[in-house]
Amino acid sequence: MKTRDEIKEIESELEQILYGVMDPEVELNIVDLGLIYSLIYDGQSQVEIKMTFSTPACPLGDAILMNIRQSITNVYPEFEVDIEVVFEPAWNADMISEKGRLMLGM
Amino acid sequence: MNNLQTGNAPSLSVVVPHFVYSALSFLCLTVFIILAGTDVLGPYFSGKLVAITHLAVLGWASMLAFGALYQLIPVVFETALYSELLAKITFWIFAVAILLLVYSFWTSAYGTTLIYASSLMFTALSGFIGNVLFSQRMGKRNIQSKYVVTAILWLLLAAFLGLLIAINFKYPFLSQIHLHYLKIHAHLGLVGWFVTLIIGVSSSLIPMFLISHNLNEGKLNFAYYLINGGLLLLGLDWLVLQGTLLIPVYWVSISLGIILYLVFVREVYQKRLRKELDVGMKHTLVSVLSMLLPILLSLTIMLKLDFQNSFHLRTTTLYGFSIIFGLITPIILGQTYKTLPFIIWLHKYKQLVGKYKTPMPKELYSERLVTLQFYSYNLAIIVLVTALITDTIWMIRLGSYTLLVTAVLYNLNVFKIIFHKVKTERNPI
Repeated sequence: MKTRDEIKEIESELEQILYGVMDPEVELNIVDLGLIYSLIYDGQSQVEIKMTFSTPACPLGDAILMNIRQSITNVYPEFEVDIEVVFEPAWNADMISEKGRLMLGM
Repeated sequence: MNNLQTGNAPSLSVVVPHFVYSALSFLCLTVFIILAGTDVLGPYFSGKLVAITHLAVLGWASMLAFGALYQLIPVVFETALYSELLAKITFWIFAVAILLLVYSFWTSAYGTTLIYASSLMFTALSGFIGNVLFSQRMGKRNIQSKYVVTAILWLLLAAFLGLLIAINFKYPFLSQIHLHYLKIHAHLGLVGWFVTLIIGVSSSLIPMFLISHNLNEGKLNFAYYLINGGLLLLGLDWLVLQGTLLIPVYWVSISLGIILYLVFVREVYQKRLRKELDVGMKHTLVSVLSMLLPILLSLTIMLKLDFQNSFHLRTTTLYGFSIIFGLITPIILGQTYKTLPFIIWLHKYKQLVGKYKTPMPKELYSERLVTLQFYSYNLAIIVLVTALITDTIWMIRLGSYTLLVTAVLYNLNVFKIIFHKVKTERNPI
């Protein structure tokens, strides 16, 4: 079992990995887009991600989820990634980061 | 993971043949317009113009609408397509029926092949309609799905009336002349099927692509009743009473409904997060704005503002032209790039994302060709509309050849997307 600081460090690394996962339609990474609600690492091999999509019927949803799983296991092959997609609270523009707004030309 | 729709997406072999047939139909359509020559300026009910119209609305527009709708069922209804096999069978019957129907009109074979073509067409459309209705029964009911279901019911009625007209050519039994029923058939198809479908699908897609939220969908609800109520009463009035003084009331109802939809799109546009519009969305917004043109032209026809018969006939041609080339075609030209690259990208890269660096969906086609397509199309339409108004044959030729250029550019991009070869680089992570 890892220490609290080690867990925080790995969670931060996992977040950095998610910065590399793009929403192919919006062409912005899912963290700056505000799709990630929470990311919890249990200190062993379990990663739990709670996230949303910009629309419930997102046609590219599966590809985004697959990209998240694959990107994480590329770096941490032993990790199990559990993703829960929720639509409450519904995603809205306020969730986009400042950097994301600049990238979208808002 | 819950409520995800990509798992419901139909297989590539269901959707892609529709895009291929549609793109080739668009190319043939532009060649037919060139071949028709002066007939384009003649009466709207001439065999060649009717052939061109049916190739446009069935081979080009409906074929693509079927393919796109199969793909969009998971998005709009939030469920899977009822039967992929039925969709494939329907495609082949529909494909043959279109060829036969266009041949029948072009060669004026009203008393011979037309009846078989129409029967085949009705069979194909019934298959498609059944498939969508069964899918909808399993899915979510919202304002968008209400529009889509109503649109396909109009399509069924239009096809049925078309079949009756075809039967009547061989075995006369209808009480009025063909043109009377042709008018009803055209409105059920163009307004009932296309306008209702475009409103239903675009009110789901435009906010999705422009990333607009917190929209007031009440306007869409009012628009639904105004357009469909108006069209139903208009159809019944023409069919049963042969046209009464109430026709302008139905016109007001349909027009108000369309204007309410335009107000909804304005709200979507104002609340959009994505400020910069790509060419696909520009085409789409041109199409949406073009809805005003048939409203004005139908008013001119209804009030008979011009009493010169030839101009009145051309105004009627222009009215149909404004719906097919003002509203329907640009939205297809635009939305192709918002659907087909994603369909192919998902198929080719879904298993590769994360493992490799993959291209974005928009990298599957040439943006330069899309931009050229956008300008050539708009130029072609301006020239053709001017030609129809001024009765100028050389402008018809110029507009037709420019439209052919658009069709070639569109086909190049469509086939570039479909035949895209997987490109990957090792992920640097």
